[in-house]
Amino acid sequence: MSKLLEVRNISKYYTHKDGWLPGRRICALEPLSFSLERGETLAIMGETGSGKSTIAKIIAGAEKPSSGELFINGQALDKMADQQRCRYVRMIFQDSLRSLNPQITVGKQLLEPLLFNHDGRSLEERKKRVFETLRKVGLLPEHYHFYPHMLSSGQQQRVCIARAIVLEPQIIVADEAFAALDPSIRAQIINLILDLQQDMGISFIFVTHSPEIVKHVSDKILIMHRGKMIEFGTTQALITDPQESLTATLLQADNNYKVPLHSTTKE
Amino acid sequence: MNILDIRNLTIELETDAGLVRVLDRFSLQLAEGEIHTLVGESGSGKSLLAKAILGFINPKWKITADRLWWRQYDLLNLNPAARRIITGRDMAMIFQDPSSYLDPNDKVGAQLRESIPRGELSGIYLKRRADRQTRAERLLHRVGIKNTEEVMDAYPHELSEGLAQKISIAMAIAHNPKLLIADEPTTAMEPNTRAQIYRLLTKLSASQGMSILMITQDLTAVIPESKQMSLIYCGQLMETGPTEQLMSTPAHPYTEAMLNMSLYHQQSEPKSRLPTLTGAIPTLQHMPIGCRLGPRCPYARKACVQQPALRKIKSQQFACHYPLRDGDDHE
Repeated sequence: MSKLLEVRNISKYYTHKDGWLPGRRICALEPLSFSLERGETLAIMGETGSGKSTIAKIIAGAEKPSSGELFINGQALDKMADQQRCRYVRMIFQDSLRSLNPQITVGKQLLEPLLFNHDGRSLEERKKRVFETLRKVGLLPEHYHFYPHMLSSGQQQRVCIARAIVLEPQIIVADEAFAALDPSIRAQIINLILDLQQDMGISFIFVTHSPEIVKHVSDKILIMHRGKMIEFGTTQALITDPQESLTATLLQADNNYKVPLHSTTKE
Repeated sequence: MNILDIRNLTIELETDAGLVRVLDRFSLQLAEGEIHTLVGESGSGKSLLAKAILGFINPKWKITADRLWWRQYDLLNLNPAARRIITGRDMAMIFQDPSSYLDPNDKVGAQLRESIPRGELSGIYLKRRADRQTRAERLLHRVGIKNTEEVMDAYPHELSEGLAQKISIAMAIAHNPKLLIADEPTTAMEPNTRAQIYRLLTKLSASQGMSILMITQDLTAVIPESKQMSLIYCGQLMETGPTEQLMSTPAHPYTEAMLNMSLYHQQSEPKSRLPTLTGAIPTLQHMPIGCRLGPRCPYARKACVQQPALRKIKSQQFACHYPLRDGDDHE
């Protein structure tokens, strides 16, 4: 039985197109490999500019890796057409309102992914699927006719999650999906995600810097530093026995304000 | 000695739907050199409170209070010009998303020099200019920036978020204020930078006796140096008191819920369902009567449609009919 997601030697370089030495390369992500089982949750942590969002984007297909391969259930993900790929991996963003189209109703937004992947389903069947999905994320059928701005921030994030799960993917990538939410709404969304994981067996990949949430939801943690993967392991192992000092700092919840004042200056 | 004394401050906004009460009889006392954390979710009126203290008041707001005193001055009965002088001399504020509060057209150095009060400089033009420069550099040193020349020559967009927040703190402390209001200063910052900003603020408070009113959304952002804490929900004060006491023995259901939801104690089993408050934060037009937490509160009963009065147990004050702890069975 192959792993659900296997990342092999993925790297990302950007090249300078102008200047005296065109073709000079900047490394955003050094080659890294890891794998993820079905139903597991991976948290990617790191400082700003450490390449954590780059990994998330590459896995979701928003960026092409410079080298390396991605496999899902043993199939090469990067050789697939986008239409097929989005059935396996979907993404949720931080600012839910801005990632929704303000001009069309929630229902239409959820129908759109099904339009690309309708499998010969009729409009009626597709609508039924949308209603089902709305119910799964804790919204009402009435919300089908709402525009995004009419919903509260928690409901907007629920619509984003609904849009991600409407194609029944196996992996959902969430880039800072909790950062902008109020604590009480955030707890509701975390519960929703845990429920979905249990019911549908979805694997989640979170990019976040909140140690409390990571400790609560994740099975594995990947720590990034300046484009390198410096640590990867189960949550328990990384909390009890971190190998790198950065890991300890990032996962420390209570007294993390004790780092030296001068540790970073102009970046 | 309390330098800031607020009793029953009420702010009402004029909207199409009539007067909306966004801050309901809010009280707060702040002692000299104290760090007080105000925790509230969005829409709780916490930023409005900051504006009311500073006097950034829209004429459409109706502000009433039993007391709104800053040291010996009654801020509400002062004429605007006098109030402005006092506020400008004694108070300062820093904001969330600092790089957007700096002028994108000007270099950091120029903005910093501008913030130094003119009255404190003397001599002829050239001497004043040189003084300004050295004082700006000293300010940057005070907020922990070493490469002053490089930073002063940069435009705001070239700075990292943490650095931009340090600059705005430097500008805020240029005239040695007695009170600094920090409105979510570290939201959306990564833990290391956040830690630096907190350390800087506590250091400033300790070394200069500056009081800080720290406004935040999340209980995990409450720093240990903050000895006092208040929780506010939809404009109503839920609970206030010493931070440690509130964290260990919350009396108000809202405090308990916030502690559980922000995973503060981290006691819950990983992957277990978090205890949440059901429903969403009500909108301004649809505030419930009585205790505004009522519809979401797990302990709500019939009496909760009457707004509870503030009760006090061992320096911990809360507004709840059915508190989680009572004075008798403790200690």
